[in-house]
Amino acid sequence: MNAGIGFKLSHLQSMLLFALLISIAFGFLSRRRPIERVKYIAWSLFLFLLIGVGIGWAMYPFSR
Amino acid sequence: MADETAAPAAPPQDSIRETMAYAIGVAGWLVPGLGHAFMKMWGRAVMCFLTVGMLVILGAGMRGNVFSSGGDDAFDSLGYLADLGTGTFYLVARSLEANGADVSHADGDYGTRFLATAGVLNLLAALHAYEAARGRKA
Repeated sequence: MNAGIGFKLSHLQSMLLFALLISIAFGFLSRRRPIERVKYIAWSLFLFLLIGVGIGWAMYPFSR
Repeated sequence: MADETAAPAAPPQDSIRETMAYAIGVAGWLVPGLGHAFMKMWGRAVMCFLTVGMLVILGAGMRGNVFSSGGDDAFDSLGYLADLGTGTFYLVARSLEANGADVSHADGDYGTRFLATAGVLNLLAALHAYEAARGRKA
């Protein structure tokens, strides 16, 4: 019987993993040269995290 | 006199190329990265396989909702379409989630998004492989 698998991730870990995986996929699909891919992945990851944390802080006043 | 308004018939080579492009697109949808592998784009093939695979494993491991065809509303149906985008990995997600979905916690909700994103990302990759096979710059 397959017992399945289980992961317990925090909000930050989930966001980091999601941003990293999507950035890597976008970088490989949209750029050809390795150095351009690395730059694109780094920039995309930075924007994912910046916007994610930014939206989190923007919602903070409404959380109470 | 010949009818000059009629579109010229496509050369046979173009028609073969178009058929091959469709086949590559479908292959890329069924198995993430396979479309790129057929065109010897090894880096993209491996990364598509790994990123879509990781998103599916994480999504199912976090007990995200793997939607089925008998959805109650439009969101369920759209979720099903997105999940189907992972191709054969949809079956992997279903088999990994032996205990069913649990979206009562944030983990499960994130898992649902991971699974849907995996499907949409794989569709994007399959479309990319199709366009590359048609000779568009990729």
